Amino acid sequence: MSDPEKLVFMVLHGPGHPEHATIPFVMACAALASDVQVVMGFQADGVELVRTGIAETIEAPGFPPLKKLLDDYRELGGTLLVCGPCLNSRGLKAPGDLVAGAEVVAAGRFVAEITSATNSLVY
Amino acid sequence: MTATMTELETMTAAKVVDARGAACPGPLLEAKKGMGTVSVGSVIEIWSTDPVTKTDIGAWSTKVGHEFLGVLEADGYDRVFVRRQK
Repeated sequence: MSDPEKLVFMVLHGPGHPEHATIPFVMACAALASDVQVVMGFQADGVELVRTGIAETIEAPGFPPLKKLLDDYRELGGTLLVCGPCLNSRGLKAPGDLVAGAEVVAAGRFVAEITSATNSLVY
Repeated sequence: MTATMTELETMTAAKVVDARGAACPGPLLEAKKGMGTVSVGSVIEIWSTDPVTKTDIGAWSTKVGHEFLGVLEADGYDRVFVRRQK
């Protein structure tokens, strides 16, 4: 039996770019609904998207609110990985500053997820 | 598409998913949820005002192994029919 398909979405844009912030969640939810495993990785300004209360403030025209997509993503079983050094440089602390389900990792974990994926996309 | 217009017009779905007003990927996620509520062999019908839903659901059906039956145009929305295959 072959390994299940897996996609990794690396998200580098934050609240200042609502469309760039939203589209990876759209894609990730669609992938999960298509029986594809998904990991979302947040680096640079992307870590702001998984700060408590931030998703509630983002709604790109033509797309569902980011909070709805985040809730759908977690309900469908997606994984949220957050860059530890990126949090540190912004003075953010885990778990208190992050949404439920967000896991703080470093480069080695990202490399492991990307090299084991069917494909990786960077937003 | 595997059903004729006449067949679609007389088809009774086991579940109707009303995703009208929802933006992508809303209709797809609602279809996924709806499919989980019916038995294998049953048909679900997704209502959507998003014009790309019909092609999106078609691609999704092929990807996950369900049978895309076709689309009927209603008053301001599409009625998309899919049969659960697994």
